[in-house]
Amino acid sequence: MVSVLLPVSLLLAVLLLIPEVFGDFTAYQIGLYLIYGIAAQGIGYLWGKTGVLPLGQALFFGFAAYVTASTLRAGNGLGIDLLLAVTVLAAIAVFAFLLATLIFRGRKESGPYFSLITLALVMIAEQIAGTATPLTGGFNGMSGFPSLGNLDPFGSFYHVIVAATVLVSLLLFILNRLPVNLIAKAVADNEPRLQLLGFPTHVIKGAAFAFSAAIAALAGGLFASHQGIVTPTSMGFGLSAEMVILTAVGGRFHVLGPLIGAVIVGWASAELRDSFPYWELLMALAFILVVLKAPGGIAELLEAAYRRIRPATPGRCAPSIAAPPSKPTDAPGALRFDDVHLQIGVVRILNGVTFDTPSTGIISVIGPNGAGKTSTLNAITGNLQITGGSIALGSRNIHARPPYKALRSGIGRKLQVPSVFFSMNVSENLALAMMANRARLVDLLRPATLHWRSESLTELLKRPAVPLQEDLVAPVAHLPQGHRQFLEYAMTIASEPRVLLLDEPCAGLSPDETALMTELVRTYQAQTGGLVIVIEHDMSIVQAISDKVLVLHLGQVLAFDSFDKVRSNPEVQAVYAGGTK
Amino acid sequence: MSSVLVLNLAWQISTLALVALGLAIVFGKLQIMNMAHGEFVMIGAYAPVITSSLGLPAWLQVPVCLLTVALVAFVLERTIIRHLYGRMFDSLLATWGIAILLREAVELIFGRGYQSVTPPISGTISVLGADYPAYRIAVILGILAGFVALFWWNSRSKVATRIKAMVGNPDLAEAVGINTARLSAGAFIFGCCTAGLAGLILAPTIRIEPMMGLDYLIRSFFALVVGGLGTLEGLGIGAGIIAGTQSVLGAVANQTYGYLAVLTLSILFLWLKPDGIRSSSR
Repeated sequence: MVSVLLPVSLLLAVLLLIPEVFGDFTAYQIGLYLIYGIAAQGIGYLWGKTGVLPLGQALFFGFAAYVTASTLRAGNGLGIDLLLAVTVLAAIAVFAFLLATLIFRGRKESGPYFSLITLALVMIAEQIAGTATPLTGGFNGMSGFPSLGNLDPFGSFYHVIVAATVLVSLLLFILNRLPVNLIAKAVADNEPRLQLLGFPTHVIKGAAFAFSAAIAALAGGLFASHQGIVTPTSMGFGLSAEMVILTAVGGRFHVLGPLIGAVIVGWASAELRDSFPYWELLMALAFILVVLKAPGGIAELLEAAYRRIRPATPGRCAPSIAAPPSKPTDAPGALRFDDVHLQIGVVRILNGVTFDTPSTGIISVIGPNGAGKTSTLNAITGNLQITGGSIALGSRNIHARPPYKALRSGIGRKLQVPSVFFSMNVSENLALAMMANRARLVDLLRPATLHWRSESLTELLKRPAVPLQEDLVAPVAHLPQGHRQFLEYAMTIASEPRVLLLDEPCAGLSPDETALMTELVRTYQAQTGGLVIVIEHDMSIVQAISDKVLVLHLGQVLAFDSFDKVRSNPEVQAVYAGGTK
Repeated sequence: MSSVLVLNLAWQISTLALVALGLAIVFGKLQIMNMAHGEFVMIGAYAPVITSSLGLPAWLQVPVCLLTVALVAFVLERTIIRHLYGRMFDSLLATWGIAILLREAVELIFGRGYQSVTPPISGTISVLGADYPAYRIAVILGILAGFVALFWWNSRSKVATRIKAMVGNPDLAEAVGINTARLSAGAFIFGCCTAGLAGLILAPTIRIEPMMGLDYLIRSFFALVVGGLGTLEGLGIGAGIIAGTQSVLGAVANQTYGYLAVLTLSILFLWLKPDGIRSSSR
């Protein structure tokens, strides 16, 4: 709690001292910078955590400012005004959520598309605000309305702004300690992995965008009341761009970064804009420099300086808490491929794959490179949409659903190149995996969820040969390849899927580690009685673990039988001996 | 009346296709989301302003435009853009900064106000029973010829393949003998120059001001979203749909509705058909 309360109370103290030390007019100016800073904090949360960059945040800022202006002009009294404010914030959040969810649906990256849509939206909004004169006052804007609660913008209204700043910061600091923070960061880190852990990433991004939009709207409402005038520029492209710059320069990864950026840039701009003609040019250069050289902005430089004085104490691992059981998935069943075709562009990857697995056991998939092994797994998890045929698990067709639904139907997957959350440490990776298919929505808002540990995972980590226990606080980016393989395996089985898909789990492992991995897989299958499908090139491993072997060649099934029968199959021999078949 | 509408449509589509061409190269091929694309259109549009303020003859407009744009593009590519290949998101941010930089620089030099220039060809031609500005007819035909030539060259040249190789794996491309520094700079400068040329062509028909580029960036981007990345046909189709929707709705209703329709269309495409109508890969 100290790490939350200390910076927030420091912030409160500094902000309260400003009018006492510098006088009311400076406080009035700082108040405006803080308002922009609040909106920038929203951008910082969205962009710094999830990696989604909004270029049109003034849309929400300006909309709320216009609504506030017309409400205050109507003079309904404070109670109704506040009620309306809450309604407008909620409406904006819903709109933002729907927009982002719609655009991000079916994508596994954040890309430039969303940013440009928000940019276009704010440009249209500015145009409408400038032309719809009866509603908005047109180019001259709306003015001549009292401030909220008739407070003096040059006096006591500053304290309203301080309250909002402190509350938003407090909220952001608290969110930083909750599981949602980890999930938001995971979106930017490795979206495909998060989807395979069962998280609908487009909904997460939508929620984060809604949150940032509501914060921008809150700032917009304050702005109208503080400035007493709202013009189309408050809803414009220029303001949106400026807010992004404040966020970047101040530091998007830190709660207070955007506030620092807003106050520093705002103050410097007020001092220099008139006397120094190259000021805007300088700001653009500073922004480019931050993007290229210092993505963490001023906040990160400050933090680095602070850490030089007081190095961070390595965090201790809190005791773990027993995780709730994983949610029930569909009854296990046989996996059935029926004439599955998969074509990307002109490349035909699967050409009528048909097979029918038992509902339990270990099946190895072998075949030369390019045979379609990984694509077969991609088709099962929905990472690739098949272009013909059907895939069923038990009695349900599973081929037309997105990857994040795979785990819900009981399918867990380990990818070919170890795919984990590289910016996090091992225990954070495991915490995310423990939430997969267990956490309900409320669990994501409880700090205790971060310490969940299931019995089977504890057991796995306790095995002396598994090299993860001593690495728990190590950043994953520093782990050797073999350790990453075990980490991803542990993450995949954490949710105890009935169908486990493993893509070359032994690649890059030493002989000892390989033996350990094969034993883990066998134990897992025996304990769950589920189905395990392994892609493997090493025939000794295939022989050791397989109940059946599926041989793929040129996107078709060449053989599907026991290891011995497959080995004596002349067609398989021809393919493996280099024959052309 | 209706033939004027058709000619206006042809004008809008052909100019948008030319504006979007550079973005298609830089974004589609080099994987650099160039937020400063519109600013290159803007710089190109200032070329006639430069020549007239220096008292140069009008025929120098084209070389002045291309040289200015190429120089700016070259300096930016060598100092900033070349660090950003393979970093799509950072490229968006850095070029966003570049866009602001260019706008401010132009504002410092030429001021914030509107500029206007006269077309090199004046008078009207009677086409399909309507009197239409000769300059616009010449531009439509010129762009059409240019795209036919480009299509012919593109189907024979290996440059697109080499760029794809370079973006996919720069080290390997170097190893097989592709001069990646020259290729990437060349492609970037070519893309920016087509934008500059588009600006020069559009200059007599619009108000020239430092902020004008944004609108072109957004419309070209939407053309690529709708048409799909990677093919010239896609570019043409996308430009047709975006410019068509906007000018038809702009004519029967007003400009804001045209804009809203284009935006809605693009969101629908991103939602339902994220790769656009035509796409070379995926």
